Amino acid sequence: MRTDPWCQYSVGMMGLLRQYVGLALAALLAGPVAADEITVFAAASLKTALDEVADGFEAAAGHEVTVSYAGSSALARQIELGAPADVFISANPDWMDRLEEAGTIEPETRIDLLGNRIVLIAHGQGEPVEIGAGMDLGAMLGEGRLAMALVDAVPAGIYGKAALESLGQWQAVEGRVVQSDNVRAALKLVAIGEAPMGVVYATDAAAEAGVSVLGEFPEDSHPPIVYPAAAMNGRVGPMVAEFLGYLQSGAAREVFERHGFTVLAD
Amino acid sequence: MAWLGPEEWQAVALSLKVSFWATLVALPLGIFTAYALARWRFPGKQVVNGLVHLPLILPPVVTGYLLLLTFGTTGPVGGLLEQVGIVFAFRWTGAALAAGVMAFPLMVRAIRLSIEAVDPKLEEAAATLGAPRAWVFVTVTLPLILPGVLAGAILAFAKAMGEFGATITFVSNIPGQTQTLPSAVYAFLQVPGGEGPAMRLVIVSVVIAMGALLLSEVVARRAAARVAGG
Repeated sequence: MRTDPWCQYSVGMMGLLRQYVGLALAALLAGPVAADEITVFAAASLKTALDEVADGFEAAAGHEVTVSYAGSSALARQIELGAPADVFISANPDWMDRLEEAGTIEPETRIDLLGNRIVLIAHGQGEPVEIGAGMDLGAMLGEGRLAMALVDAVPAGIYGKAALESLGQWQAVEGRVVQSDNVRAALKLVAIGEAPMGVVYATDAAAEAGVSVLGEFPEDSHPPIVYPAAAMNGRVGPMVAEFLGYLQSGAAREVFERHGFTVLAD
Repeated sequence: MAWLGPEEWQAVALSLKVSFWATLVALPLGIFTAYALARWRFPGKQVVNGLVHLPLILPPVVTGYLLLLTFGTTGPVGGLLEQVGIVFAFRWTGAALAAGVMAFPLMVRAIRLSIEAVDPKLEEAAATLGAPRAWVFVTVTLPLILPGVLAGAILAFAKAMGEFGATITFVSNIPGQTQTLPSAVYAFLQVPGGEGPAMRLVIVSVVIAMGALLLSEVVARRAAARVAGG
């Protein structure tokens, strides 16, 4: 009986190929989301606090919560292009407005959930200063740089620039601002001492031991910092409603406030 | 290109400048490293090989952060360099450094392959005829590996044009100083309604990348023809 080793080899290859294709298809087709799971898209600055709130909700309600953190802009674009989010919590109203105009969210579920403050921070231990039109930020910086998030693009940077402008400080420091792609990266620059000072959220400053808060910017020096939350169009069910309710509950409020947020919804 | 705003044009010009210098400065170092890895045997060779390839494997953000810790004004190397007036942090030179480091492994790989393809007997023949080692390299090896060197340089230039993660982490995003083409695209995409300028910059980068690629094909083919003919 004649055996053809080449023929055997090719059969083996075909078998392998078939297995491989099967495996790849299984991986691609897997993962219809379990029925009792909520997917939340949330701004990166919420991470520490929202992780804790989500854990609390899971324990209380028994539903799984998956949170995807990124910049609000990236998340809003993903949602526009059909990402399977149930709830979106944005770090500024502009992106939520855009989704509302496009009919992507359920307008009646939209709430102003949280507020935040921006602060001037310094590397290590710094002397507190009076933040106002009377300070001379340019002189305080000396040769150093001022770390901020992108001042035309990222909410923390936009608020910071508005505050510095209204206090008459922007012109003096404009050329010395280093802009990071997100506010946590700006925080890091101050923490490692590459920039002696920075402008970040109060909640960020509280999360980093390497920096000290020199002072809070007056609330009227910049547009109010608001984090709106809403359910996505066609995804409102009892579970999502329960989650939105939990975000406004006393338990969630305690966590958010402990991390430095102001709770706006009641 | 009248349809590019001043800030967009600035980003394109800066990216070209950064990539040009990154490639130019990295090239001699890349040829040397490739030659050492291909031809020499020395203790710690695998460690050097690993270090050269590290930027290819590490997340770009990590590479940028390590650059910031090392070459920042408070870093060990950056602090020393600052005393002689060389500053990388938050300058376009830092963007070029980041781009060069990220592009280095690609450059070395391409050049190393072409060196390994050269028959060592040719070099030995030149050496037995009395040519010093450096002269052998310049007159025998270098012309033979020229297509590989060009391919490596073009690859490095293309990588430098597209480098984003290490750049924004190391030198942040300062318009006119460190805002390269990818950083500008990223910044535009953060703003509602920024799609227009972002798309224009994307078209520019595609045109530059395709142009560089075509150019490298033409140059490499000519160089190969000349080596074969000579």
